[in-house]
Amino acid sequence: MSRIESVFNSLRERGEAAYIPYVCAGDPDVDFSLKLVEKLCDSGADIIELGMPFSDPIADGILIQGAMNRSLSNGFKRSDLFGMISSLREIGIQQPVVVMSYYNIILNRGVDTFCKDLSEIGGDGVIAVDLPIEESLELDSTCGKWGIDLIGLISPNTPLERVDAILERARGYVYLVAVAGITGPRSSLHESTLRILREVAVRSPVPVALGFGISTPEHARIAVENGAGAVVEGSKLIDIYASNLNDRSSALEEVGEHAQLIKSALRENDL
Amino acid sequence: MSALKQVESEYIRLKEDTEFDRRLNELRSRYIGRPTPLYYAERLTRELGGARIYLKREDLAHTGAHKINNAVGQALLAQAMGKTRVIAETGAGQHGVATATACALLGLECEIFMGAVDAERQRLNCFRMNLLGAKVNVVETGSKTLKDAINEAMRDFAATSEYTHFLLGSVVGPHPYPTMIRDLQSVIGKEARKQILDVEGRLPDALVACVGGGSNAIGLFHPFLQDPVPMHGVEAGGKGIESGMHSASVSAGTPGVLHGARMLLIQDDEGQIHETHSIAAGLDYPGVGPEHSHLATVGRVEYHAINDQEAVEGFHLLSEMEGIVPALESAHAVAFVAKLAQEMDHDQLVIVNLSGRGDKDVEQIARMEGRS
Repeated sequence: MSRIESVFNSLRERGEAAYIPYVCAGDPDVDFSLKLVEKLCDSGADIIELGMPFSDPIADGILIQGAMNRSLSNGFKRSDLFGMISSLREIGIQQPVVVMSYYNIILNRGVDTFCKDLSEIGGDGVIAVDLPIEESLELDSTCGKWGIDLIGLISPNTPLERVDAILERARGYVYLVAVAGITGPRSSLHESTLRILREVAVRSPVPVALGFGISTPEHARIAVENGAGAVVEGSKLIDIYASNLNDRSSALEEVGEHAQLIKSALRENDL
Repeated sequence: MSALKQVESEYIRLKEDTEFDRRLNELRSRYIGRPTPLYYAERLTRELGGARIYLKREDLAHTGAHKINNAVGQALLAQAMGKTRVIAETGAGQHGVATATACALLGLECEIFMGAVDAERQRLNCFRMNLLGAKVNVVETGSKTLKDAINEAMRDFAATSEYTHFLLGSVVGPHPYPTMIRDLQSVIGKEARKQILDVEGRLPDALVACVGGGSNAIGLFHPFLQDPVPMHGVEAGGKGIESGMHSASVSAGTPGVLHGARMLLIQDDEGQIHETHSIAAGLDYPGVGPEHSHLATVGRVEYHAINDQEAVEGFHLLSEMEGIVPALESAHAVAFVAKLAQEMDHDQLVIVNLSGRGDKDVEQIARMEGRS
């Protein structure tokens, strides 16, 4: 059983849904994003999505674009991403780490080497944001070989037969994109999103994580009521700390408080 | 993905639809002004003293470049899919102008994404798009050029595909775009093949076209691929390959994935996409279409780099020798043929795709040369 699976199993026993914060690695530098992950893990994060910055993040909105920009302009490298995961394991962080990356970063390293390295340093999963399932055979089998969960993505306009194809290969959890479009906080969850969430949750053999646009405890509560086993939140966290980077400790405190609120909304539900 | 599948299935259906074919052909002849001439550049030929140089005059197509061939075809497709809004990226502005034109023609709402750097150096085309009723969104992210305009258009498309068609302008991006755009641009090569056979009674000895994403080149090359005709794609060498400031994806790129296509890319050893440079905004893209990447890999087409300075020389050469002011993009092909023709025999034939006219570049050249 993968570490991601066991996290979901124990959450299920406790009647909780998972809180999965997304952290853009290296924003604005490695030191801060390590502390950010640590703070999130102390504040209720069950799984960490660690985003590898990319020069051309076509699926991301302005907040994550900005974060990636800051990281890359400070010279963040792929080796720093692996270094970060090693450091997290060294300081005793137990939460599964899922690397979210654009495919070119993985392909450029070599799919096999990337997965092998990730597995050896204690990484747990991969999300290739811009790789459709039709093109993901190589990555899928390589992840399998190294014991990494390849997390699939479903969007609100994915037809049901394709949803089923994605679910058939799903490992760990499946990522349901809450809005057609790009990342970034939204004010509310649409009824159409919730309908799709319910449909996917019924069909899915793995927990469904709802992401894109999630930014409040209310979103989290509604997501779980409609079948989500997890919520993913990224842009909102950046929104909280990015304007406050000259006072890093208070920025971290603010993120921590916000994370606790989201996590408690995920605990209150009777799953 | 489902939006792309819809484009694909609708395109496959329309390809076989005689009414669509009739409509497209009618617009080609009565609106775009096709076939464009294949013009024998006699003075240029004499000046260079080598092969006989023919120019495929895409600069004479409506709006002044080959981009209209694709724009009209895809706008008809958008209409057939019931889309009311069209978005497009543009570098030099020619594709933006062509798209705005096709949308005006068919009564579709139109928004164009253009990098801030390009919007500045191609101001005239920005204004033209506005005149045609399109909204121009200036993109301030990344290198503020063509690739960033594509990023922004893709972000828009992901959110609006229910009522929006993304009218991509080059043979890049996700399937079915590279194939569909190649088909729509192949009218260039089909005409040129027939025209050269009519005039000279034989196939040419070389084809030359500039390559950014590669749509005008693939349009010329594709109908000749089964013929024993050597082909040359001319990339933007910018300030020289060794300077790192260029857009020569075949000459200096490695395989990668960007904008949903696997192709040769200008990237660093981390997989981050490099900022590119060319004096010609339309060539300023870090990748080259997957079919060009394939043709380069198997050696069917040779790719060369022409730098900014050489392109400007080509720009002047054609203006002075033939009274034709070429687009700076096409000037790369002219500069290359100036070298190639001299190495060829007098009785050999070479066709250069003159992909666009240079009105849009006149201001930039005047500024560069201190004449304004």
